[in-house]
Amino acid sequence: MAVISLDNLTKRYGDISANDGISFEVTEGEIFGYLGPNGAGKTTTIRQLLGLIKPTEGTATVLGADIRNRKALTEVKANLGYLPDELGFDERLTGNQALDYFARMRGDERREELLELFHPPLEQKIGTYSSGNRRMLGIVQAFMHDPELVIMDEPTSGLDPLKQDRLHQFLADETASGTTIFFSSHILSEVQRICDRVGIIRDGQLVALEDIDELLERSGKQVRLHLSEEVTESTFVTEEMIDVEIVDRSVQFTYTGKYNSLLDHLTEYDIDDIEITNPQLDAIFKHYYSEEYTEDA
Amino acid sequence: MMTAILRIESRNRLKSSVILTGVFAITSLFFLAVFPAMRDGAEAIEDAFPEYMMGLFGFEELHTIEGFLGGYVYPFIWVIFGGIYFAYAGAGMIASDIEHRQMDLLLSNPVSRESVIIQTIASIWVPLVVLNVGMAVTLFGGVQLVDESLDPVLLTMVHLLSVPYFLVCAGIGLVFSVTVKRVGTAQVGAIGLVFMSWLIEGLSEMGDTYEWLGTVTPHRYYDSSAILVHEEYAFSDAAVLTGSFIILVVIAVIIFVRRDIQ
Repeated sequence: MAVISLDNLTKRYGDISANDGISFEVTEGEIFGYLGPNGAGKTTTIRQLLGLIKPTEGTATVLGADIRNRKALTEVKANLGYLPDELGFDERLTGNQALDYFARMRGDERREELLELFHPPLEQKIGTYSSGNRRMLGIVQAFMHDPELVIMDEPTSGLDPLKQDRLHQFLADETASGTTIFFSSHILSEVQRICDRVGIIRDGQLVALEDIDELLERSGKQVRLHLSEEVTESTFVTEEMIDVEIVDRSVQFTYTGKYNSLLDHLTEYDIDDIEITNPQLDAIFKHYYSEEYTEDA
Repeated sequence: MMTAILRIESRNRLKSSVILTGVFAITSLFFLAVFPAMRDGAEAIEDAFPEYMMGLFGFEELHTIEGFLGGYVYPFIWVIFGGIYFAYAGAGMIASDIEHRQMDLLLSNPVSRESVIIQTIASIWVPLVVLNVGMAVTLFGGVQLVDESLDPVLLTMVHLLSVPYFLVCAGIGLVFSVTVKRVGTAQVGAIGLVFMSWLIEGLSEMGDTYEWLGTVTPHRYYDSSAILVHEEYAFSDAAVLTGSFIILVVIAVIIFVRRDIQ
């Protein structure tokens, strides 16, 4: 069942399309990565899903409720958690008071359990919080009513690496028990690590929608070589190699062909050292964002 | 429980209400301290002011404590500064939550925008109660200090009938707060409008030509002098104000549920 379903979702501001005809579905129990650089339109999509802004065209459903139906959307929010990129808490409240406030509106049956994993200083006023503590309080409020769907906008910003790992592990556990996570980020390695599927948004348009594994497969292998002799680009480079960089005896490229043909090719050279890895999403990302990719596509 | 917003907003208004009550109480005691001199020289003062000033401020029977309070203390402290405070408080409600991104989190809860507005404006009961009780007690005690006495019924009525007036001021602020993007702009706009309408009403009383202009201002419908000096309780005026407040809230709701929260 689709927990979130976007159908030609469009938001225009004058001539500018912040979201331009976006369609995709997020299914139950998956972590969906919504990836794009700042300003690509990720937050615009999220704000439409939450009913904060209205679509110019198209629509979406969230937990079965059409976002244009305010009453239905309000009702399903009892089963929704939201972690915004910019956490607007009432600074005059303590962490505990803020959680009490949200608990009165939608419950807090998992509050204590979450506070064992993420523990902001609850007795202090939120105005004194560091960005990491603020983020932890945000995570607790987003999950404490045990929602079916959690929408997270840049959730790890401000968290130290240890807490980021903890959040990633926590999210994996949550989806295992059926919670759906919509995870927006511009941090590629993060999405690569935890998401099942990814949608890539660029200039308001969805440019890719696939499984992380397929995306990695399709995007080739990252190869680094150290040769005993210098090579020239004209003799060494084959059609399957892209993004080639040759500096003296070091060569680096992305290989889009089969392993065997690569190995056949390399037997002609004397190799000191070789490293073949999955490319970081950065590299893939670069393709989606380069003009070349647009032409290829 | 869908009163969470009302509870927290009420809590947040308590401190500013108490502080403002203190300021108003001290100011009105200063005003009262002048009264003994006024009691003796009121005639000279009434002669000294040009007539339009008398009309603007509603000076009448300044040598009696009722006239002094109704024509001097209440018009200044209550109608002008009180009105400005409620306009300011109303204008700070929604705009501030949007500007500080609290509205995003709030609206991720199963609570409708209608409910957000109504619970937020309802929290105005806190300054209404605190200010009215604080001022009434202060003035009731204060008049004893200058060897005067005041009918508690009159005092109660002058406060009770000011409630609809303050509601309208808060309602004007609320409409600004759902319309204007920045909270500062909303507050300046609301204060400006309330102050302007006070000025317009005062000036409109001076001649028949523009007399009608005053009827669109909330100030026309609350007259502390009439209550204290003439014991006229204009319940119909209070009803006009209450109706206007309800209309303002409805307008604010209509605007707020339609707009995008950027």
